[in-house]
Amino acid sequence: MATQLQTPGAIGPEAVTTRAANAPAWLAERRRAAWEAYTALPMPDRTRDEDWRRTDIRGLEPDEYVVDPGPTGHGAGLVEAMREMRDRIAPDAAFVASTRNGVRALEGAEALRAQGVTVCSLEDAAVHDEAAVRRALAHVPVDGSKFTALWNALWRGGCFVHVPTGVEAAVPIVAAHSAAGDHAAILPATVVVLEAGASLTLVELEASPAAQGTMLSDAVSILHLGEGSRLDHCLLQRWSASTWHLATHRGVLERDSRLRFFAATFGSRLQKVYWDALLEGQGADATLTGVCFGGGDQHLDHQSLQAHRAPATRSDLLLKVAVRDRAQSVYGGLITVDRAAQRTDGYVQNRNLMLSRGARASGIPMLEIKANDVRCSHGVTAGHIDTEQRFYLQSRGVDPEAADRLIVRGFMQDALDRSPHAGFAEFVGGVLDEVVAGHSAAGVEAEGLS
Amino acid sequence: MTMAVTVEAHELTKDYKFGFHDIDVSVFRTEKGLSPEVVAAISAHKNEPEWMLKFRLKALSHFRKRVMPSWGADLSGIDFDNIYYYVKPTEEQSRSWDDVPDSIRQTFDRLGIPEAERKFLAGVSAQYDSEVVYHSIREDLDKLGVLFGDCDTGLRDHPEIFRKYFGTVIPANDNKFAALNSAVWSGGSFVYVPKGVRVDIPLQAYFRINSDNMGQFERTLIIAEEGSYVHYIEGCTAPTYSSDSLHSAVVEIIAHKDAHVRYTTIQNWSNNVYNLVTKRAVAYEGARVEWIDGNLGSKLTMKYPSIYLMGEHAHGEVLSAAFAGEGQHQDAGSKCIHVASNTTSNVVSRSISKGGGRTSYRGHIKVHEKATGVRSSVRCDALLLDEESQSDTYPYMDIDSPDVSIGHEATVSKIGDEQIFYLMSRGLSESDATALIVNGFFEPFVKELPMEYAVELNRLLAVQMEGSVG
Repeated sequence: MATQLQTPGAIGPEAVTTRAANAPAWLAERRRAAWEAYTALPMPDRTRDEDWRRTDIRGLEPDEYVVDPGPTGHGAGLVEAMREMRDRIAPDAAFVASTRNGVRALEGAEALRAQGVTVCSLEDAAVHDEAAVRRALAHVPVDGSKFTALWNALWRGGCFVHVPTGVEAAVPIVAAHSAAGDHAAILPATVVVLEAGASLTLVELEASPAAQGTMLSDAVSILHLGEGSRLDHCLLQRWSASTWHLATHRGVLERDSRLRFFAATFGSRLQKVYWDALLEGQGADATLTGVCFGGGDQHLDHQSLQAHRAPATRSDLLLKVAVRDRAQSVYGGLITVDRAAQRTDGYVQNRNLMLSRGARASGIPMLEIKANDVRCSHGVTAGHIDTEQRFYLQSRGVDPEAADRLIVRGFMQDALDRSPHAGFAEFVGGVLDEVVAGHSAAGVEAEGLS
Repeated sequence: MTMAVTVEAHELTKDYKFGFHDIDVSVFRTEKGLSPEVVAAISAHKNEPEWMLKFRLKALSHFRKRVMPSWGADLSGIDFDNIYYYVKPTEEQSRSWDDVPDSIRQTFDRLGIPEAERKFLAGVSAQYDSEVVYHSIREDLDKLGVLFGDCDTGLRDHPEIFRKYFGTVIPANDNKFAALNSAVWSGGSFVYVPKGVRVDIPLQAYFRINSDNMGQFERTLIIAEEGSYVHYIEGCTAPTYSSDSLHSAVVEIIAHKDAHVRYTTIQNWSNNVYNLVTKRAVAYEGARVEWIDGNLGSKLTMKYPSIYLMGEHAHGEVLSAAFAGEGQHQDAGSKCIHVASNTTSNVVSRSISKGGGRTSYRGHIKVHEKATGVRSSVRCDALLLDEESQSDTYPYMDIDSPDVSIGHEATVSKIGDEQIFYLMSRGLSESDATALIVNGFFEPFVKELPMEYAVELNRLLAVQMEGSVG
């Protein structure tokens, strides 16, 4: 690593030392091991790594980005902007907001605490709920990949939720991650542990102001679903158009548990996001849905894994993508079925709508099947708006811009209908309309925040 | 050109000139392993022009520079140093059927080839080791100006056509195995169909590997001039050997304006053969190229017949069937590259895995930025016959143009219990019911084959399916 002239608070060994000093011994050790793995692993390479062939991150120099900015003065503004989003999506929800400086707000969790639900920062949980945190973190090993290693070394604050056996969480939880400032680096962390028979709705928001310098986001969510538990997880990505966004969202499903994951992707200049549903227990069931709109020069890459490791498991993924201008969408999806996973039902659909010349979409849905009593299928389509559709709408007095908005909305509607939370679907639909109309995809107002 | 022959059944029993069955009596062969000297020896032995020697040597250096592909199947069992790169079995080309060695004739006999030829075939090129040992062409093909011979003869007798097209579709540095083939190629077919000529009967060649540790590197070049039509059929059978063999062919097809080329393969190498083949066609304006590709044998096959749709309204079709039994991995698929507007492609793949076998479909659909009005449809279905077997699907789609309609669908499943139950309730045994369903599953492929091939494929499938139930 470069040691000379390092920007204060930048990604580097000092930031690891600071975090390790404030962590319990096991976590400090884990952070150091992760940093070692991070420095040892090469940057992903288009020619060497198959899943990176269509995504070029050669322009990213992680050690130029600042994880520890010290007092910034705009944290309160960011929190307020995220709170407003919470109010529109789920006004009843508990609210946990993080910036680079850790958890900045934790509100409305009283009803949950009365039920015995733990809602706190991941840092606190590492001390007070060590067993649960260690079990969850083990799902994202320190040396799994370059960027999960970086995350393991440097995450800060973080949202931790632990729902005890049989408890149905009384209200949803909104976990918000936000950052602002030139060369800001944030490592959003969300860890959810549901014990047997528990249930929860979790909404994750990632957003930054539109007008600012380049940014780096390296996020991990870990969702541990105990036997028979249910998790509805909604995710909204609205980073600024100058943000590099790398993320892993990993659900581990025990017997008869059910995950409904719904993600809306609008922001970032380049994103590489992994959605992993690991179906470890018999009868586990995962529904994954994505709505993605890209414009300008955005490069939006989704990779999904539906790993069927036990009998009678079911998974169903739908990713709908619309791309305009010079935006490029990349989708790589893999369904694996282990020998033991008989009676698996696995499905992937990727539908792409090409809105203009120069826009590009790649779809690579893969199957690796080792059991015979299965039903696995996938479909990919790419198409464009028929001239007749546009013409018809215009003949009815709809202006071309509004026509496109209606058509994109119509294209996305079946995916939006799969959102497990109605308020979230409505909010995302609104964001979609705005973005199609040409407004910034970034999530929070820029005033006074940069 | 070789003389036309008519083969009568009784001629097959005549004495033969080359008295070998299992004894290796190859007349000339290079030492094991690969070096510029070996490549130069091959070229010198064939009395090739200087440009071909240079092409071969350049290809060798490409081959040495390129790393082994790691994205697909397991290639670690190949030992490049333990392979003969050139074996010439006979001193000169056989002139008639009765010159063909008995062992080959018997194999052909079992597969019904002589009869098929009498009835349907325009010509037969049977490749024994690295040379064409038997070759016939019907006189009417000569009259039409159709050239059908082996590639060595093509290079010698038609250098102007040969050099214009050779290596233009698949350059020597295209991939590691194409580079290997380019360095040491030998034999294979050369087909030239003049403008407007329609070859009504399929041109057919049979290839075999027949020497321990023998690599086979045939090279096929098919040129269809404007408005012409040709159907070329290639099939393989090979006896089993104790150590692994390598087969690495290159097939290039040029379909000019409004030409129609169909290429049918049934690959049935023995289960110790690495079959690593590069097949590619270019289709110009209004041309139509069809790959009918069946993969039954080999230890490992990696083969992705490709079509570059270079002219408007060109159409590509790939129909593939794969069967993987114990110890086999069929990694096959297709590529359709839409460079020009209003081009269309259609891919249908059917695969069956059994007894621990593994089938993989690997495909690529690409639409270039300037291509509008492109339509493509890909359909893959896989059957898994037991709990040990594996099926994979790796379809890549890169769409760089908005004015497209692209669809891909794939399913993996087992044979339905209800289907078996229904057929058994009608009096079929379980194995007959399974065989019937398997035949039905391959039906889209089989119905595109000439009759004798359809019969042969069904026979091969029946052999493969033996003991699959109970």
